[in-house]
Amino acid sequence: MTMPAALQRDDANDQAAKAGRRKLISRWFYLLCIAIAMLSVLVLAVLLISISVQGGSRLSVDLLTNAHSELHPEQAGMWPAIVGTLFVCGVCALVALPLGVGTAVFLEEFKPRRPELRVLRRWIPLGQRRWDGVCTGLYKAMRGLHGFVQLNISNLAGVPSIVYGLLGLSVFVYMFNVFGQITVNESAGLELAGVRHYYQVLTLQRGEVVLIPQQDLQQATITVTEPVEAMLPSGERVTLSLWKPGTEKPTEPELRRRTVREGATGGRYSQKDWYYFRLPLGRSFLAAGLTLALVILPVVIIASQEALRGVPPSMREASLGLGATTWQTTRNVCLPAALPGILTGSILSMGRAIGEAAPILVVLGAAIAKNSGPQHLMDDAVTMPVLIYNWAGRQQQVYQELAAAAIIVLLVILLLVNSLAIYLRQRLRQT
Amino acid sequence: MNLQVRPMEPKSKNRPPVVERPLASKDASESARPARPARIEIKDFDAWYGDFQAIHGLSLDVPRHQVTAFIGPSGCGKSTLLKWLNRMNDVVAGAHAQGHLVLKGDVGEDDVDLLARSTDVVALRRRIGIVFQKPNPFPKSIYQNVAFGPRLHMNISRRETDELVEWALKKAALWDEVKDRLHKSALGLSGGQQQRLCIARAIATGPNILLMDEPCSALDPASTARVEDLIFELRQQYSIVIVTHSMQQASRVSDQTAFFFQGRLIESGPTEQIFTRPREQQTEDYVSGKFG
Ligand SMILES: Nc1ncnc2c1ncn2[C@@H]1O[C@H](COP(=O)(O)OP(=O)(O)OP(=O)(O)O)[C@@H](O)[C@H]1O
Ligand SMILES: [Mg+2]
Repeated sequence: MTMPAALQRDDANDQAAKAGRRKLISRWFYLLCIAIAMLSVLVLAVLLISISVQGGSRLSVDLLTNAHSELHPEQAGMWPAIVGTLFVCGVCALVALPLGVGTAVFLEEFKPRRPELRVLRRWIPLGQRRWDGVCTGLYKAMRGLHGFVQLNISNLAGVPSIVYGLLGLSVFVYMFNVFGQITVNESAGLELAGVRHYYQVLTLQRGEVVLIPQQDLQQATITVTEPVEAMLPSGERVTLSLWKPGTEKPTEPELRRRTVREGATGGRYSQKDWYYFRLPLGRSFLAAGLTLALVILPVVIIASQEALRGVPPSMREASLGLGATTWQTTRNVCLPAALPGILTGSILSMGRAIGEAAPILVVLGAAIAKNSGPQHLMDDAVTMPVLIYNWAGRQQQVYQELAAAAIIVLLVILLLVNSLAIYLRQRLRQT
Repeated sequence: MNLQVRPMEPKSKNRPPVVERPLASKDASESARPARPARIEIKDFDAWYGDFQAIHGLSLDVPRHQVTAFIGPSGCGKSTLLKWLNRMNDVVAGAHAQGHLVLKGDVGEDDVDLLARSTDVVALRRRIGIVFQKPNPFPKSIYQNVAFGPRLHMNISRRETDELVEWALKKAALWDEVKDRLHKSALGLSGGQQQRLCIARAIATGPNILLMDEPCSALDPASTARVEDLIFELRQQYSIVIVTHSMQQASRVSDQTAFFFQGRLIESGPTEQIFTRPREQQTEDYVSGKFG
């Protein structure tokens, strides 16, 4: 056999020149890569430095422990937002992670099998070939369905999060009004658990508040026109005495303590147990968490699928060959092997959930007045991105600085979350 | 279908002798018939991957308590048939088959239709163990690897597990090499040790049929010899099917040999006869190394 012409050519010079050029290109490409990598580091550095310069002076313990304040911005803090983010993202994780990993397991480990329809074959005489055709057709249909689910999940990952916000609004917040509407004083909707006590809150002359138990639930406010029974916040029961404006105020301290202006109006207040539950969910942190879960679900699914696909098929064969069921194989072999990947994907997507503002703005609104974390399941919440959005949009210099400081806190938290992902991956790789 | 899980006795070197049933008269009329009654009966078996037919109308008996070798050129369907014998093809997308594939029961047991959808594949695979061509230990400790199968099927105490693991590793001629590192990762073993670990893992479940797909293709001569010794010893209690590309190995370890070519069975019979007096020209060419 003769050698191909290309191998017979004697062109040492030509080859040397070509080798030189190749090496040069390789070198330049290397430099280009370094430059690009440096550029992204540079952008990040500029961002961090500018934010630190702006917000560094506002970093303090107060920032972490106080609540937002309109009157004293220099004391404003983000504690309710930190707790609120924790709650919202907690709900999100509790829902999205099991659901996402479960879906990935379904898509990767429980692939459709070709039905044989042996029983049907015996009963309906269609002939071997036709039945084979039917079985193959059914199998292809099932595979098509599987592929359709897969395609949808990939598409969902690309849907903007504000769209999920609108979805969450109609699905979780209003529940299509199937259970009625929640009015401003929260008297409607379907209330399922968590006993509520209704009160009217009155402010006394000396600035203290008293609670008047309310019987008529339809009444939004009451006006005090005669002495009534009331409860001090300490639990002590008193009879309020009235003071007409224009007359002399009582001087005796004990009497002054329980004097209320005639004609004072109360505000509705209801006490709820922590497990207070109603439908629809309304603008609650639960609804926000569920909405965020929808946002990150496709990401969790895809990351977990990638991790499961990385498990060598020979591991599954080994387990099945020993007589393990598909579930035993999944639990004992596939999930442990895929765990580092699943965890990394999950934690990174949680990072995304923590920083997500748009769907929260749609579901919970932009209000940041809340001065504590959620008190019960249906309570609303402030989250860090929403707080930053609100602060950054204000004119005053103080709020600009506060926003920058809050961004630093948010970045630190995200950094911690991401390093947790890296740490876990390393740990699990080693064992 | 009678596939209950029987209590397992790790030290089963002296199991009660199996009472053999008289040969079926049909078998007796053929010249190349198995010396022992069939353990697995295959008749007119076809298998497909999607639209591609990998096995065409194959009929063969796998005898009880003997070693049967499947030989033939690459891609002729040996692994496909082997995988159908314990339904490993269930998980292969598009794999399907038809025909008569029956596991003949031991005394007091019913026959099992190996192709029926209703067959309990979990119990089936416990009885029919499989060892793959490439060693595939789990990324767990040696001990956990061997204990994996038993733990799937029964609740056994720590002590029983210890005993079982030791027994299986001794049978697979691996005990002396690993007894000091039982709780170290199995991935730290050499290829040959890993393959013997896979054999130990397969027999720890207590199968009575063992399928081996080229178990020695990744092994050095010394490990191969060990595995062959093992097969030789195991055949006292197990019915073994071994796929091999080594004619020497087939002639050394097997009692029966089946020669496949392009998805069809060309010839089967006692190993001695296949290698010295094959009836088919193709078989002779193959065993003498003229092709394949
Ligand atoms: N999962 C699969 N999907 C599609 N075709 C397959 C699959 N597995 C095997 N085949 C085809 O089926 C035929 C038989 O394959 P098989 O693995 O049984 O061959 P083999 O005899 O074991 O070969 P070797 O000795 O190389 O292992 C081959 O043509 C192969 O291409
Ligand atoms: Mg093969």
